[in-house]
Amino acid sequence: MKLRSPLLCVTAVLALLTACTPGGGGGGGGDGKSFEFWSFAAINQKLTVDAYKTKRPDIEIKLTEVGTSTETAQSLTTALAGGKVPDLVLIQGDNLPQFVEQPQNFVDLRTLGADDIKGDYLDWVWKQSVAKDGEVLGVPTDVGGMAVAYRTDLFAAAGLPTDPAQVSALWPTWDAFIETGKRYKQATGKAFTDNAATSVFYQAVNQVSEKYYSDDRKLVYSSNPQVRAAFDLGIKAATAGITAGQSSFESAWSAGMAQGQYAAVSAPSWMLNTIRSTAPDTKGKWNIATIPGGSGNWGGSYLAIPKRAKNPQAAWDYIKEMQSPKGQLEHFTRVGALPSTPSVYEDAQLADSKDPFFSDAPTGKIYTDSLLGLKPFYIGPDSAVIGQEFLNSITNVEQSGGNPATAWDDALRAIKIAIGE
Amino acid sequence: MGERLSAYAYIAPFFVIFGVFGLFPFAFTFYVALFDWNPIGDQVFIGFDNFVRMFGDPRFWNAAGNTVSIWALSTVPQLLLALVLAHVLNHARLKFALFFRMTVLVPYITSVAATAIVFVQLFDRDYGMLNWLLGLVGVEPVDFVQSTWGSHLLIAVMVMWRWFGYTTLLYLASLQAVPRSVFEAAAIDGAGPWQRFRHITVPSLRPVIIFTVVTSTIGGLQIFTEPLLIATGAPLTCGAVRQCQTLTLFLYEQGFGQFEFGYGSAVGVALFVMVVAIAAVNYLLSTRIKAD
Repeated sequence: MKLRSPLLCVTAVLALLTACTPGGGGGGGGDGKSFEFWSFAAINQKLTVDAYKTKRPDIEIKLTEVGTSTETAQSLTTALAGGKVPDLVLIQGDNLPQFVEQPQNFVDLRTLGADDIKGDYLDWVWKQSVAKDGEVLGVPTDVGGMAVAYRTDLFAAAGLPTDPAQVSALWPTWDAFIETGKRYKQATGKAFTDNAATSVFYQAVNQVSEKYYSDDRKLVYSSNPQVRAAFDLGIKAATAGITAGQSSFESAWSAGMAQGQYAAVSAPSWMLNTIRSTAPDTKGKWNIATIPGGSGNWGGSYLAIPKRAKNPQAAWDYIKEMQSPKGQLEHFTRVGALPSTPSVYEDAQLADSKDPFFSDAPTGKIYTDSLLGLKPFYIGPDSAVIGQEFLNSITNVEQSGGNPATAWDDALRAIKIAIGE
Repeated sequence: MGERLSAYAYIAPFFVIFGVFGLFPFAFTFYVALFDWNPIGDQVFIGFDNFVRMFGDPRFWNAAGNTVSIWALSTVPQLLLALVLAHVLNHARLKFALFFRMTVLVPYITSVAATAIVFVQLFDRDYGMLNWLLGLVGVEPVDFVQSTWGSHLLIAVMVMWRWFGYTTLLYLASLQAVPRSVFEAAAIDGAGPWQRFRHITVPSLRPVIIFTVVTSTIGGLQIFTEPLLIATGAPLTCGAVRQCQTLTLFLYEQGFGQFEFGYGSAVGVALFVMVVAIAAVNYLLSTRIKAD
């Protein structure tokens, strides 16, 4: 016995390890009656899963709320590299390009009938999940849409109009937005908006017809005048003294919002929930105006099916049912996520929806209107890195005393190092 | 024969687990460092290109500089503080000695994430207590996280706060091995508190001081959680201009932010070389001190 039991232990350990080794090969082979679904935490995905269960009681759904959207993408990467993959996974738009670059990891949804439903979705949203040879890797579940949320009480105190139509008329362009900020600052001595990087640059740079890549997928971030114009707007806002210098989602940003340290913030539709939970005492003191430049989008996610999924068909049935225009409209009424299917934008449930927290602003209409003017542009593998370096450069000028005159060149240098061009 | 073999069987579980979770990933890092390695795409052998790129990468040298700066700011004051505290806690007439000896460990068992949240709030530019106090004496608010020296100081304070109790206990343990009669004899002979500290406490702690210098240096090279958590706007770079990005955070950014596993592994190898070099220097120093 002396000898045997430790050896058994070793054997047991080895057996365990072999069990952990990922299996390779293709997908399928599941029971077709169940599927595993990875989603983000805190977006109420369970409500929609439960709704599907009442429609299809024969299907078993194992929902895992992995974490933030970034954590979900990281877990997915690890799983794809060699582990157990889910049958269905939610991918946030910012994380999508890195997966679109490697289409061999996912089921080409055209094989399941994606071409039949393509026409239901906004074309520029759909295109972002199309890989180089036309493979369709994901179906868009929602979009951000853009607007500006502003504090009516603080605007009134500064002598600015408070009616949304009049406020929207204050800033047809980003230059006018910055000018309004200067007026506010002069009247109150306080910051007008939270920060220049996300509230100005990030929005302006998404209103272009061509961003960091040209349509034939070549890098043009350094020569594209539209990018330069957006960057200069960011620097202009950062040096105009109209920002609170608080980066989005930092704890001081949340505290600043609750205390009215800034009066206007660029708000995609999902931001309304953030405002509601961050500053509950400001209920009724907000309203919503249109975004300068007229249109915009920030956020939105996609559902994809990994190649090695065991139950791809069950996952596809779910997508088809729940991401149809009708399914997305129901999802909107449940959690407020904006549909990516324009056919329901006229529906009364959406077009007439009002938000009491934001002075009964017609949020459904404002946000869907902001989506209609957008143009598709190619988002490449290095788009996220390039965007981050531009944001960093503006934040550096705003918060760390960086030199605005060299900010553009500094950003280009940082990008070259980062993408190894 | 069986008796002799069974000994190996008893220690085998450790070596198997170490081999699988320690040695293999460690060796594999060296292998991956030679590739342009996309975890979900192609893996192309590129020889030493990752290392060439690393030596020419200002981000790498910036991270190395930050790491050394944060290490120096946290280790030196921490060890001095621990030395003094251990001396005080060893005092014969100290009341509630056990209580104090136990409470110095509380920071050590507090989660780093909780520590980071509290310290970031204390050091906040607009709402932090520290800036409020500075404001009372007319000092303009300091943006600790967004400035280079400020962010290093903030991280160093967190590291110091977490580890000083642990170091104090190590010093205290070896101080207690020194017979109390030595201190008493010195006191009778007219040695003051400073003389007793300088001529009894410090010399008798020499071996454990060397040990703590080695461990805190190796730990200092691997500071990760604190810088990751203080700049929530740009966590992977610890701020807009990488002002407090340490080497491990740079490794993580490259590996799990950009998915450049090959380049990240090369940074890991560089970190390994540094740790070995510092350990070797420490070893040489300590053998010389022992020989004295």
